[in-house]
Amino acid sequence: MSKTTIQFIILSIVLVLAQVVVFNHIYLFNVAVPMVFIYVIIRLPITLAINWVLTVSFFLGLTVDIFSDTYGMNALSCTVLAMLRRPVLRLYVPREEDLTRPEPSMQSLGTAVYLKYLLTMTLLYCMLIFTIEAFTFFNPLQLLLRIIFSTLLSMALMVGVDSLMTPRSEKRL
Amino acid sequence: MSELLKFFVKYSSWFLFALYVAASCALLFSGNPYQHHVYLTSANTVSSGIYGTANNVSSYFSLREINEDLQRRNSDLELEIYNLKETIRGYREQIYSDTMSVDSALQRYHFIIAHVINNSINHSHNYITIQKGRLDGVEPEMGVMDQNGIVGIVNVVGDHTARLISVLNPYLRLSCKVKGENQVGSLVWDGRDPGEAILEELPKHAKFVKGDTVVTSGFSTVFPEGVPIGTILSGVRDREDNFYTLRVKLFTDFSTLSTVRVIRDHMKDELTAVEKEPEIKNIE
Repeated sequence: MSKTTIQFIILSIVLVLAQVVVFNHIYLFNVAVPMVFIYVIIRLPITLAINWVLTVSFFLGLTVDIFSDTYGMNALSCTVLAMLRRPVLRLYVPREEDLTRPEPSMQSLGTAVYLKYLLTMTLLYCMLIFTIEAFTFFNPLQLLLRIIFSTLLSMALMVGVDSLMTPRSEKRL
Repeated sequence: MSELLKFFVKYSSWFLFALYVAASCALLFSGNPYQHHVYLTSANTVSSGIYGTANNVSSYFSLREINEDLQRRNSDLELEIYNLKETIRGYREQIYSDTMSVDSALQRYHFIIAHVINNSINHSHNYITIQKGRLDGVEPEMGVMDQNGIVGIVNVVGDHTARLISVLNPYLRLSCKVKGENQVGSLVWDGRDPGEAILEELPKHAKFVKGDTVVTSGFSTVFPEGVPIGTILSGVRDREDNFYTLRVKLFTDFSTLSTVRVIRDHMKDELTAVEKEPEIKNIE
């Protein structure tokens, strides 16, 4: 196993634990729920075969489902998100050969493009998960507020995770 | 044949995608939470172990509030004991000759104290995990309360852990009534606010005012009669049918649950057996 694989396994374990132990219990102003574990899906290398991306995402979602008793909700959203990852990236980076590194990050995409990519992915995920939840209680205003504020909160936290992930020496570049 | 194989390889990602979506949908629409397998819920060994460890730390966080609740509840109970003692003394004086003390083994209800290790309030179907299981005497369909009011009903049981359906879950419908009245309605959560629930199907001749206490009805073996639920915030009468729908402010603070009591009813088996008895028809 390469260094990257091990790094991603550790990242997944840490983020899933953080999600189920800490972030699942946050419910800011009765609307915002941070979804941080999808950072793993966002950061998977673009060169990774789509089948692997799907598999990793599905099991990632399923693990979070088991811990938080949501039964299939996260698994479904993660699988769909994994499928949408490449089209979203195409939207902002027309030529993948331009990338300096296979992983989408602030360094490889540039801050503005990376933030746009991050925002789109988070928004998509929050839309998926809260729409699936809305099959139980349909309340359009609450649904909209939950999507918007959860996206913003998750995004802020993921930018934080990002700065923790980046070694300091690389930042000066 | 090779063309077919090529086709499968070329579109393998779509097949895999369809497979995963089908698997998640199968889980998502599996419906009845009583049929959930214990390994796929938070009551399994790995997740309950992790939640137990995290709870060792987080259980210290809101001790002050919990202590205040307990003190208040304690003083209420002391007051009640005092009143009851007075009543008993009165009766005892009346029928002194027949008095026989009741053995405590004849008590109908028994509490199992358990720690909450995982709990959610932000989903549409919320569940709670506790650190007591089958080996401690917990069984499915037992009621659970904390020092303030009702919490939920036991649903999936592992050896040392159990999962409850929280009151904040539309699968849970609870028979309840306004304290001091006899008309029974059912309590259900509407998914809006984790501090409030809806009391539905209360007959229109029921009397109540804003601020009245809502308690369990005791019409099942899950909860005894009179377990506090909440206070009435507002009431509306449905236009179409003759029922009231009330908004109830819950006593239980689901965001700071820590220690709960599982209610064991010693008459449960007997009652279920009686209720299952087939009706005997008159033969003339």
